[in-house]
Amino acid sequence: MQRLPIPTFQPRLKVLGREQALAIHTAALEILEKTGVKMEHAEAREMLVDAGARPFGDDWIRIPAWLAEEALATAPRQIALYDQNGNKTMPLVDDRFYYGTGSDTTFTLDLESGERRPCVLNDTGRFARLVDALENLSFVMSMSNPRDVAKIEFIYVYAFAEMLRNTGKPVVFIADRLEDMTVIHELAAMVAGGEEPLRRRPFLLNYSEAISPLRFPAQVVDKLMFCAKKEIPICLPSGSNAGGGAPVTLAGALAMGIAENLVGLIVHQLTQRGAPFLFGPNVSVLDMKSSVVSYGCPEWSLTQAALADMRDEIYGLPIWAFAGASDAKTVDAQAGAEAMFSIVTAMLARCNLIHDVGYLEYGSTSSLEMVAIADELIAMARHFTRGIPVNEETLALDALERVKNAGPKGIFLTDDHTFHHFETALFLPQLMDRSRYDAWAAEGARDLYRRSNNRVRDILASHRQTQPKDAALLESIEQRLAEL
Amino acid sequence: MDLSALSEAVIQGNIEKAKELTQQAVDAGEDPQILLDQGLIMAMDTVGENFAKGLLFVPQMLRSAKTMQECLAILQPHFQAGSVTSKGKIVLGTVKGDLHDIGKNLVAMMLEGAGFTVVDLGVDVAPEAFVKAVSEEHPNIVGMSALLSTTMPSMADTVRALSEAGLREAVQIMIGGAPVTAQYAEEIGADRYAPDAGSAVIKAKKLVASA
Ligand code: B12
Repeated sequence: MQRLPIPTFQPRLKVLGREQALAIHTAALEILEKTGVKMEHAEAREMLVDAGARPFGDDWIRIPAWLAEEALATAPRQIALYDQNGNKTMPLVDDRFYYGTGSDTTFTLDLESGERRPCVLNDTGRFARLVDALENLSFVMSMSNPRDVAKIEFIYVYAFAEMLRNTGKPVVFIADRLEDMTVIHELAAMVAGGEEPLRRRPFLLNYSEAISPLRFPAQVVDKLMFCAKKEIPICLPSGSNAGGGAPVTLAGALAMGIAENLVGLIVHQLTQRGAPFLFGPNVSVLDMKSSVVSYGCPEWSLTQAALADMRDEIYGLPIWAFAGASDAKTVDAQAGAEAMFSIVTAMLARCNLIHDVGYLEYGSTSSLEMVAIADELIAMARHFTRGIPVNEETLALDALERVKNAGPKGIFLTDDHTFHHFETALFLPQLMDRSRYDAWAAEGARDLYRRSNNRVRDILASHRQTQPKDAALLESIEQRLAEL
Repeated sequence: MDLSALSEAVIQGNIEKAKELTQQAVDAGEDPQILLDQGLIMAMDTVGENFAKGLLFVPQMLRSAKTMQECLAILQPHFQAGSVTSKGKIVLGTVKGDLHDIGKNLVAMMLEGAGFTVVDLGVDVAPEAFVKAVSEEHPNIVGMSALLSTTMPSMADTVRALSEAGLREAVQIMIGGAPVTAQYAEEIGADRYAPDAGSAVIKAKKLVASA
């Protein structure tokens, strides 16, 4: 009888023990019950009071723990995101992970001059086109805050439309308020072929934010309730950054951020049970010298790994995360080191939806080159995370026998086993340079930034979407924009 | 009187010690204005310089500011009404549509630490609200914070509203926030841009001195 295959252990990172996870969860519930939150949305406040919460002071409200437990029970454990052609490409569940870009950077590193300059709409398009071509990036975000739109109050609508023009991948979008969100939903329905198909096969997810500490402005809750009703998947992290919006100790920052997320979830599930909600706060740190909120620190990686553990232990809901970002001002060694640190730990911790790939300067600047580099870093991390398959083929005793018998000339490089397996057994870099010194020098002694710059230029010049949108659809999108 | 022990206590952020020394000095009949200028504010100047040099972390600097504030509370009743000299008054707020306030709050605390009087209008402050505050408070400086590209235009609107209300010449305007640049300040006719709280204090001092 043949032996059963040996399962492949895939390396996995745990950073919290069960007692720690439970204690943080308990603290979060205590914040809801004892501290309360400021709910500035009248309808949501009434809904919460009707459900059993107690109002006090000026818009403040205390929420019983059982409401949180109930919301956790009714929220779906899987959020399936589709591409714009209706294929399920991102089932956000259990230990599945997907990387994508970030939202609003003010500046970008110009592809031609290398200079940091304000973002324009064309940048959003280029980032979307680049991500469309890159294998290891699964979704797009606007990656810029374009200065040159016709009406600044609809900036997020123009950015969304620009992404639709340039990619068929799922879109994570921002909206300022109900008004622009409604238009974005309309555009998305046009792409999906109607509101109902969009509801069944959503290709978009909204990223809105509550305000740490403990504040829920009306316009944010408006968006939350709209998404619940339309079943647009949404996440609602708050900026519970250690030392800034939240306690400086990570346990306290996590507890507060989770409490805020639970409030969002409760409102969301009371609005519509079973609507998809992506869990998780953003818990980075406020740098104690520059006072920037860091995108390259080890703490954010640690808190989101902790959240993944809490997902496994308690929540069961897919989570929101970040990676591939940096505080460096240019695409330098710091950028590479910080990006890789968060990419590999987010993967090992099995975070689910991982955004902000390609951010520089603590989220103020974006870089196409950085996105392309991160694509390769993700591939490296993925190769590591796949682990070491162990079976007769991979143990390769036959190959060893052959090479031994080939005598002094015997080398594995010439063996068929190598030919058949090298592409899967080994990681084959595209951007990371392993060439010999002379060849590298002859190629112009280019560093990673310049190699990535070339790759991006090639991609932008040659990439075509696999299933481009038809002209009539694009035309109707234009028309809707013209009506703004 | 030797104020070096008091200064040192403020620099160290030793609240108890600093309060005790302030109380002793007041009881001994020292001039509160001298205690303020040569004890507290000079200490905060040193703190500000050390912070700018990277020798101090933000919480240490804020602790010194808090120490100074507590000492000031002891001095306050001993000033003749209206005789306390502030470094200047600043009306501060995050502009309309924008809810980011951590940076603005930090700027406010640092300015207070440096001896300014700060009138904080909070977040989501409309141009009209700035105008109203300026006409009521008569500040030396108006400070505006914006963290979003979408809310930056509200800074321009506010500058315009102040002009229309005939108040533009009466104040200096300073702006800041992550997407804001010196160039933008120039474009909208603001007087100064500062990239962080430390330089905001330095620039505020210069603005008041030049006015
Ligand atoms: C924390 C944070 C939040 C928190 C704010 C909590 C709070 N109570 O303030 C929350 C989660 C609520 C939030 C919400 C949003 N945010 Co936000 N946020 C941030 C983040 C991560 C840090 C900002 C911060 O607090 N920094 C720490 C403080 C100390 O620094 P600072 O604000 O820069 O202030 C310093 C200087 O700028 C200067 N300064 C500031 N004000 C002033 C004023 C004067 C007069 C002077 C002289 C100087 C000065 O001195 C300060 C101290 O040194 C930044 C990214 C980043 N790393 O900067 C994004 C960021 C600002 N947010 C952004 C966005 C897009 C949003 C949302 C639209 C997101 C969404 N999906 O809904 C909402 C908008 C809400 C609204 N209507 O305002 C974008 C803005 C992009 C753009 N160009 O428009 C950023 C850049 C992130 C990004 N790259 O996408 N955010």
